Amino acid sequence: MSGASGKPPKKESEEKTLDGVSPAISQLLRKVRLAWLEQVGGPGAPRELVLQNPEMVIGRSEEADISIGSKLISRKHAVFNKSSTSVRCRDLDSSNGMFLNGTRVHAADLYEGDTVQIGDVTLVFHEGQ
Amino acid sequence: MDVYVRFWGTRGSIPAPGHSTRKFGGNTSCVEIRIGNTLLVCDAGTGIRELGLDLLERGDDALEMHLFFSHMHWDHIQGFPFFVPAYQPSNTLYVYETAPGADRVQRLLHGQMQSDHFPVVFTDLGVFMVARHFDNHRKSSFGEIKVACFEQNHPGTSYAYAFECEGKKVVYATDNEIDLTLENGDRVADHPDELRRPPIEFLRFIEGADLLIADGQYTDEEYLQKVGWGHARANTVVDAAVQAGVEQCAVFHHDPLHNDLRLEQIMHQGRRRAEAHGAGLALFGAREGLELKL
Repeated sequence: MSGASGKPPKKESEEKTLDGVSPAISQLLRKVRLAWLEQVGGPGAPRELVLQNPEMVIGRSEEADISIGSKLISRKHAVFNKSSTSVRCRDLDSSNGMFLNGTRVHAADLYEGDTVQIGDVTLVFHEGQ
Repeated sequence: MDVYVRFWGTRGSIPAPGHSTRKFGGNTSCVEIRIGNTLLVCDAGTGIRELGLDLLERGDDALEMHLFFSHMHWDHIQGFPFFVPAYQPSNTLYVYETAPGADRVQRLLHGQMQSDHFPVVFTDLGVFMVARHFDNHRKSSFGEIKVACFEQNHPGTSYAYAFECEGKKVVYATDNEIDLTLENGDRVADHPDELRRPPIEFLRFIEGADLLIADGQYTDEEYLQKVGWGHARANTVVDAAVQAGVEQCAVFHHDPLHNDLRLEQIMHQGRRRAEAHGAGLALFGAREGLELKL
């Protein structure tokens, strides 16, 4: 049996994965203090997106590190950059912009509980343990 | 032309570093405004140190910078001796004086770098520093950018600046106790929910700003103990922004006693107040590291 896209439907355990990271590994990465995004709204929610690489692009493109199929999101919409002390998000001149806790911003350092809105996707930032 | 605004220091009075203030930041006043390729800096509180380091990373070895001081109180100048681009001879720094012919800003910057206070003397700064002056109408311009300044209510006087270019307007108005200048101040004392009316001259100065950065250091309750200290109530800033048709308002110059949680509560109350006035004002607390594109 195949889904509407012609691809076989994913198992429930796979639906919560991102970039090949299973929920179990996701939890493990959080335990080693990696920052992560909790997607609470938009296509694919709810799910956990671990910021495992120093730079991760979110967008509609399949080439994006975090690819979300929404027409309200630009192909490469925003980027999350990790340093040793912080995570900074930056709008990549997207059409619909990026909002931090309701304010349209170009870039910002993120802290526990911050809400990032990108198109119809709502992400809550967690600093990791 | 795109306008970018980045907050490097948002705290008032004294740096307030620590875990409880890390979201809004602990550095004192410094705001970077980039209009096209022109770099403007408002105030040189401790936030300017990190701005300087960031400018070095950007790799421009012949920077042109325009520096505006709201006033010369300590929390607005104390980062200047640590502003690394000021030590590089290839850079040019335009320092603005609000009165024709004045040299007050450079004198006071010089003063805080005397050996009693600091080990490096002012004359060791390598930057090519040029004084620029506002005219008698308190206006200045360079390129397509027009700048106006406005005298505010603060002990020793402070100035707000309005930067305009191609229809975009940013106003930097910190350290301004507009509460002492309200036209309906007596009535507001008994009816704090009533719309507070700042002088029309101030409203005209900030009118239609795409972004107003304004001192809102105190809550209504705190202000009662701090009248005359030179700072505004956040609620009064909200009312001013609403009446002037401001699009976005960044409450700035946070009290060092306000931690992140308290500031979020104050901003929440401010947004509710703007809604109660029927305004679609976008209100937020200025956060260190936050960058807007107008």
